[in-house]
Amino acid sequence: MSRSEAFAKTGRTAVQQNIQGTLEFLQKYPPFNQMDLTHLGFLVENCQLRFYPEGENIIIPEDGPVEFFYIVKQGRIYGERRQGQDSNQETTFEITTGECFPIAALLGERATRTSHIAAEDTFCLLLDKASFIKLFSQCNAFRDFSVRGISSLLDQSNQQIQTRAAETLGSQYSMETSLSVLSMRQPITCEGHFPLHKAVQLMHEQQVGSLVITDEMQRPQGIFTLRDLRRVIADANADLRQPISELMTLNPFHLPPHASAFDAALAMTERHIAHVCLVQDGRLVGVISERDLFSLQRVDLVHLARAVRHAGSVEKLVQLREEIRSLVDRMIAHGASSEQVTRLITLLNDHTVSRVIELCIEEHGDPGVPFTWLVFGSEGRKEQTLYTDQDNGILFEASSQEEANAMRQKLLPLAREINLALDDCGFMLCKGNIMAGNAELCLSRQEWSRRFSKIVREASPENLLYSTIFFDLRAIWGPVDGCQALRRELLSMIRGNDMFQRMMAQSAIQNRPPLGGLFRNFSLDKKGVEKDTLDLKIKGLAPFVDGVRVLALSHGVESSNTSERIRQLVSKGVIERLDGDAYVEAYHFIQQIRMQQHQQQARNELAYSNRMYPDELNHLDRRILRESFRQAQRLQTSLTFRYQL
Amino acid sequence: MKILNWFRKSPELRESDALRLAALAAPIPAQQPLAQQRFVVVDLETSGLNTLKDKILSIGAVTIENSAIALGQQFSCTLRRANHAVSESVLIHQIPPSEVAAGMRPEKALLSFMEYVGGSPLLAYHASFDQRMLVREMNDAFAYHLRHPFYDVAEIVQLLYPEHNMRNPGLDDWVSFFGLQVLQRHNASADAMVTAELMLILLKRAERQGLKTLEDLDVSLQNWRRRQQNTL
Repeated sequence: MSRSEAFAKTGRTAVQQNIQGTLEFLQKYPPFNQMDLTHLGFLVENCQLRFYPEGENIIIPEDGPVEFFYIVKQGRIYGERRQGQDSNQETTFEITTGECFPIAALLGERATRTSHIAAEDTFCLLLDKASFIKLFSQCNAFRDFSVRGISSLLDQSNQQIQTRAAETLGSQYSMETSLSVLSMRQPITCEGHFPLHKAVQLMHEQQVGSLVITDEMQRPQGIFTLRDLRRVIADANADLRQPISELMTLNPFHLPPHASAFDAALAMTERHIAHVCLVQDGRLVGVISERDLFSLQRVDLVHLARAVRHAGSVEKLVQLREEIRSLVDRMIAHGASSEQVTRLITLLNDHTVSRVIELCIEEHGDPGVPFTWLVFGSEGRKEQTLYTDQDNGILFEASSQEEANAMRQKLLPLAREINLALDDCGFMLCKGNIMAGNAELCLSRQEWSRRFSKIVREASPENLLYSTIFFDLRAIWGPVDGCQALRRELLSMIRGNDMFQRMMAQSAIQNRPPLGGLFRNFSLDKKGVEKDTLDLKIKGLAPFVDGVRVLALSHGVESSNTSERIRQLVSKGVIERLDGDAYVEAYHFIQQIRMQQHQQQARNELAYSNRMYPDELNHLDRRILRESFRQAQRLQTSLTFRYQL
Repeated sequence: MKILNWFRKSPELRESDALRLAALAAPIPAQQPLAQQRFVVVDLETSGLNTLKDKILSIGAVTIENSAIALGQQFSCTLRRANHAVSESVLIHQIPPSEVAAGMRPEKALLSFMEYVGGSPLLAYHASFDQRMLVREMNDAFAYHLRHPFYDVAEIVQLLYPEHNMRNPGLDDWVSFFGLQVLQRHNASADAMVTAELMLILLKRAERQGLKTLEDLDVSLQNWRRRQQNTL
């Protein structure tokens, strides 16, 4: 045995003991958690461990082509890039435990463009380039990760969100549900001598797609479905008086009531049938149709929207609210993005609000004044989650001040009823009284225009706050022309007012994203009940919403939706495309985390809150959240430059 | 006469062992900068604390070279010992008698370890214990005089981090002082690894304090010991 072989053998157990710990450590982090053990073992055995005291350069551009792949075992590293000739240093990123670098430089066989510096005492695992390349060529998970970088992290995170949502859905909508639970109504039956036309009449009256033909003992003899009817009608000689027993399908397929939805789905697919009889002790106890099964999985948005639009009462709307919530659950389970989900919620909310207005008019009488229902804030931006305050107002057309006052008196009682009814439907009354029932928000177009112009001219703190609410306006019921004209007026007021733009920008950077210091992870609240939490709405979403609003209003963008505003700002050349994409992605990620949290709170019957404990997030989400906040920080920095704040 | 002595001391020395013993490297005087020095960090588990009587049960070692630990090149083995009773240190090290019985032939294990060490200086936490154990075992087994220098990480760390403010700090105290994330403890390999990680930190600190060679470090250590004795 040669010396090195002897080492290899005796060393093996040591390697296994000490490597086991490193393996377990790596298995907490992507992509290592997706690599198989052989590859991971290869990685660890070829790694060396190095220590970098705080402030030490780990790799710098001057080092030349990168020779190692680095994984942070413990500690924190920041990237620093030199800006042009004046040698300004800009911190570009932060890397912490479980993360790796510099993949792009390694794959490009070049030096790094950024200096990687230890932000605190740091241990790194270093894999030499030859081993990196071997691993890269043999391990798919590792390759995918290396090539796709952060975008693959986002995919993974979305997958996790979906799995989680599917898990909670599972308890209610699993394919394991027993058929007896799913078949709610009594089966519709008749005896064999029933003539065809009577049988069809029965099916029509009962609104069913199948009829089971039974004997006196309720034993199924055959089944007659709409498909059979089509076949009969296609035959020119069909006699509508012939008994159903001559037309039915004999010996229908049946399952016991305790069989699962999955069993039924399987039978239907195999046999090309759309109905399964449920039979217990030889007697028919129910029928399951394909549609019963599909309603488990298929989201019938159109149906829900129609139900909302035709709801006969506010109580009915309240009930439908519950269905909207479960629809949102399922949307997330089916992989909808937060943007799709907020749009859907907005759509259904718009329908709900419209229906509430109509129901209130029916109940309390038409005020006889045509009006437009305006919404502001998140509702105006089409960014509502399920749980929001009301922010609304009324706009009407009046030719004089007297007429405006008279109209207002007619509209206000109705507006207050609408506000209350909306509260019943889950749109909470606005604490700041930003509601149409408030006489100051039930205005003619001229009055609105004066009010907006005052906000723009006198940029007091209060007015700046109003601007963040009112200037995201949108009409959702009644004629839209007035609202459009008002918005155009507003845009031209702001476009010519540099002072106001600057003030808006100043207030838009007040809510700093919660990234502590230069090197810290998140800056969390230090005291009280809200210790160790951060506010996703104020600290995470507001920097985007407010920052983008400043740019949109200053550049004549008519949309009030944040991502739509960003897209239009990109096409107008105000924001660079890459920046715009990053902002949209980051904004939606924060929104997605917030929606997940709200759903979880609703499920656990907790009061909903935008406060979250970042420590409760999984590692991946925490990392992406941090990157998202960093994008918010970049947006604010760009405002600082643009408006020279 | 000498040869006879040799045989009496270690009656079961095999021919192959004798060849390996003869080929063992002598300690190499340190000449490179500290940052490039090769060290072998060792941790022993023994049947007790009596360096004259007790036996080595297992050896764990890690190499530091160019200020890095190569994870794939570690040394570990359990030594086969007859009549190994369950003692207090078994409870600490958790090496069950069955594993000790199944271990490697002690002579072979010691030779393999010495081959792994080569001519490099050794490092250990409370090194004098490990040194005495190894010197005695090498002498008992082969009448081999182990002259490799040992450096005590427990001393080096107190020298370089005088601000520690701890009384008689142990390895665990330093682990928490530096916030080291330890994956496993109290087996020879894992303890050697922790000691080696600690040493990586110390090498950087030594460099920043202007200690460029092992000799510089040695001089500082001697001065430190003198100061310690004066203050006592």
